[in-house]
Amino acid sequence: MVFSYDWIQSFFRSKLPSPQKMADLFMHHSFEVEGVEKRKEGWILDIDILPNRGPDCFSHYGIAREFAAVSGLKLLKKNSKISEDRKTKASSLVSIRLENGKDCPRYAARVIRGVKVGPSPEWVKQRLEACGLRPINNIVDATNYAMLETGQPLHAFDFDKLEGKGKKEITVRRAKPGEKVLALDDQEYSLDESVLVISGPREILAIAGIKGGKASEIDGSTKDVVLEAANFNPSVINRGSKRINLKTDASIRFEHGLDPNLAEEGINRAAGLILKTAGGKVLSGLAESFPGKVFSKKISLDFSYVEDLLGTEIKSSEAKSILNGLGFKASFSKGTLEVQVPTFRRDVLLPEDVVEEIGRVYGYGKIAPLFPEAALMPPENNEDILWEDACKDALCGLGLSEVYNYSFIPEDDLETFGFKEVLELKNPMSREFRYMRPSLIPHLLDNLRENSKHSEGFDIFELGKTYTKGNPSEKRFLAAALFQKKEKETQFYRAKGIIDILLERMGVKGAWYKECGSLCKTGCFHPRKCAMIMIGREMIGSVGEISSSALDRKGVSGKAVAFEVDFEKLQKLSTKETIYQPVSKYPAAARDMAVLVPVATRVEEVLNRINAAGGDLVREVDLFDIYEGKELPEGKKNLAFHITFQASDKTLSSGEIDGLRDKITKELENDPEWQVRK
Amino acid sequence: MEKTSLDLLKNEAEKEIRESGSLAELDKVFNKYLGKKGELTFVLKSLQSLSKEEKSRIGKKANETKEGLRLEFESRTKVLKEKSRKEAEQKEWIDVTAPGKKTVSGHLHPLTQAKRKVEDIFQKMGFQIVLGPEIESEWYNFDALNIPSDHPARDLWDTFYLKNGLLLRTHTSPMQVRFMEKNNPPLRIVVPGRIFRHEATDASHEMTFYQVEGLMIGKKVSVANFKAVIQEFFQRFFEKKVKIRMRPSFFPFVEPGFEVDMSCLVCKGKGCPVCSKTGWIEMMGAGMVHPNVLKAAKLIPHRKDGSGWQGFAFGVGLDRMAMMKHKVDDIRLFYSGDLRFLNQF
Repeated sequence: MVFSYDWIQSFFRSKLPSPQKMADLFMHHSFEVEGVEKRKEGWILDIDILPNRGPDCFSHYGIAREFAAVSGLKLLKKNSKISEDRKTKASSLVSIRLENGKDCPRYAARVIRGVKVGPSPEWVKQRLEACGLRPINNIVDATNYAMLETGQPLHAFDFDKLEGKGKKEITVRRAKPGEKVLALDDQEYSLDESVLVISGPREILAIAGIKGGKASEIDGSTKDVVLEAANFNPSVINRGSKRINLKTDASIRFEHGLDPNLAEEGINRAAGLILKTAGGKVLSGLAESFPGKVFSKKISLDFSYVEDLLGTEIKSSEAKSILNGLGFKASFSKGTLEVQVPTFRRDVLLPEDVVEEIGRVYGYGKIAPLFPEAALMPPENNEDILWEDACKDALCGLGLSEVYNYSFIPEDDLETFGFKEVLELKNPMSREFRYMRPSLIPHLLDNLRENSKHSEGFDIFELGKTYTKGNPSEKRFLAAALFQKKEKETQFYRAKGIIDILLERMGVKGAWYKECGSLCKTGCFHPRKCAMIMIGREMIGSVGEISSSALDRKGVSGKAVAFEVDFEKLQKLSTKETIYQPVSKYPAAARDMAVLVPVATRVEEVLNRINAAGGDLVREVDLFDIYEGKELPEGKKNLAFHITFQASDKTLSSGEIDGLRDKITKELENDPEWQVRK
Repeated sequence: MEKTSLDLLKNEAEKEIRESGSLAELDKVFNKYLGKKGELTFVLKSLQSLSKEEKSRIGKKANETKEGLRLEFESRTKVLKEKSRKEAEQKEWIDVTAPGKKTVSGHLHPLTQAKRKVEDIFQKMGFQIVLGPEIESEWYNFDALNIPSDHPARDLWDTFYLKNGLLLRTHTSPMQVRFMEKNNPPLRIVVPGRIFRHEATDASHEMTFYQVEGLMIGKKVSVANFKAVIQEFFQRFFEKKVKIRMRPSFFPFVEPGFEVDMSCLVCKGKGCPVCSKTGWIEMMGAGMVHPNVLKAAKLIPHRKDGSGWQGFAFGVGLDRMAMMKHKVDDIRLFYSGDLRFLNQF
């Protein structure tokens, strides 16, 4: 909110420090000052009033009062007395009726007769313009001027345009559904019960606390004026302003809450100004309804709490003078601090609020850092983070780079990946970010597309939350994608190798891969080149080649293999314990075996038979080549294995090893289609 | 006679061994004397035709000669091998200035690295690391934190709402209440995590970013304690001496509340373009936990008899910390997935 330096100066007799110095003091003790600028109307300070300080600081007087407290300068006394025309009482001409005292704790009106509407004098115009308001006429300008000075929003009605039997009737009530009003901004607003209005017997005069109505507008021929200074329920104004999507200088002040006692001060300031600039006579007293009277609160707290919470020693006399400087009344009795809070400080309710007042004016900079005294309790490890770190380190060591992507996905992805039960945002930023990601893969494919513009091949992974309508609605997943622009051979087996090492690092044993085909939940895999990652009977994830249709839809040109693992499941299976397997003292011997099998034969079947025939003496079987080619018989492929034999209790003789090989050969050739090549 | 000829043979052989200049030459000499048809081999073979007496006399001598020559050959072989190795080395060369062969290495995301560092620092100060849900209820995200609905303060957080009535947490602060509901003070926690703001993105604003929440509750935890802990944290994170400054601020879940600035790392507080010439950089919001938040977690706030609890809480942007540490000027790079950026870390 912008403030005029000269206007603030007008509340002090002594000369203020420079605008820059003023900004500096405010920053350390009250508010951040966003800007200090010299305009043609003089110096302007743009002060970022904290939301809880709106009630007392959304005004030049309030800011001057705050500055007096933090600078120690003396504030001039306010004089809001005006001379009234004792002959007629305002209440004899205007009647006020409140439908609900909670919506409107106070409604006060003054009547001024015989004004001459015209332009405001230059000094009024200048101050309004300095604060970004457009001068209109001396009546409206006076209400705005009084608002900027006191913080109380005001409104002026043309007396003759009001209606009523005998007295002019003003009612504060909720609007009826569908009720409409033409406001001063020439816009028609359609209202409902959430909006509070000021109403005459037949029509709406104003949208309460937000905007005046056209029907009762002040114009060049206005003779008599009704001034309104009201206090409205902040929540009602907040809701109403959101409902009709209109924020005004008045609504901002009301929705932060105002001191009902401010109404009188504001209305007198405006009336006094009108007398000065437009002439006329102010009728005696207020026409008023004031069901929500407020009195100053008392807070009592032990002074040691002030020192304990701030962590510094403060003299009680200093605390007292700080509070008194802010307009509080502070006194001490036996270590207890009694504070009487002025009604304009609606934010001060608790002992902690008083501590803040003392602390900030005293200066947080004066509080020396001091390490806390606490019991020596080594913090527990967070298992979730521990395993995330272990997993990320493993993948990073295998050459994958980590990416972070948005949690949102576009609608297109739902179709591309066949996602169902997806959480939807009520207020997305755009269509691009409309749903919560149920999988990490869609964005990884986006990453492939973008990075493939400058790289031939790369591997990436992400570990993050995925979201679904289920319970729990969010789960950690791990996903990786391996990309080659020109694929030499499928990356599928490399992906499997990465998964194997990852599982080993996380201490997970017993992984196997199950063909999933049409069962595949990740709708972006080639149906014949994907598998479920199984641990025992539990599926923990899937791995597969990204289908060409998914690549096309995501605009990726190249070949990609991806895997995705339910990290919550994986972590449950993980173990930090490694149990040592004794190393055999006896030498190992190896034999290579090549087997010719039908193309559709699974390597796993061959491996199972080798292990079954060789038993415990087969230490390791490595598949080192899969070959299909013209030299081979039609429909056959050649699998080449490197088999390591080792006993734990003796050296195997070459005769024994050959015997084992023959046994394996026999077992393999049990299938007439299989042939061990000699 | 035999003795003299054996001595002659020995002398001659030793001379030839000495004079052989390469392993090939030495090999020839070996064959000449000790090979299958070598001269000494011939002598040894011819012993069979001699009488028993002569056999033992000449035989002994011949065997001694053979052993002597074998040793000579061995030592000469060593010398010649060493010589030829050195000659070969002289012919070999690699260009050490040619670039190393590219080995694939992965990279951890800079925010992962920053997060680990933050966790490590706080763990050393006795803080436990806890995590919380990203999908939250209005209660934990706002009401329990003393942020009533229909209050302008709620507008400080631009919120993403889900169609199911829940929302995406706008800060990590909900974990204050969630943790205090289940754990009794004294306590010290930090909560790193992803948060969401319904905000247009630009170089310094993201709709997704990371925050680290801190909370310390005890009997006498104070503003002075907060200052010490946070100063230590910044110094360890940036590995530089820094000063901190606290300014009054307002967050409904703390009282008093402050904004925390750190002395500019670039100019050390003198004023430069990075800190808009102020010498300070805004780092976090913090304050003393509001009694209403303690109450929301069913804890007793300060009481005159000393039975209540008090403490500090703070929330710091991890992205901002990482940006300052690595001089990154656009927050969106973290979520770009661009390996040209990510692989620099």
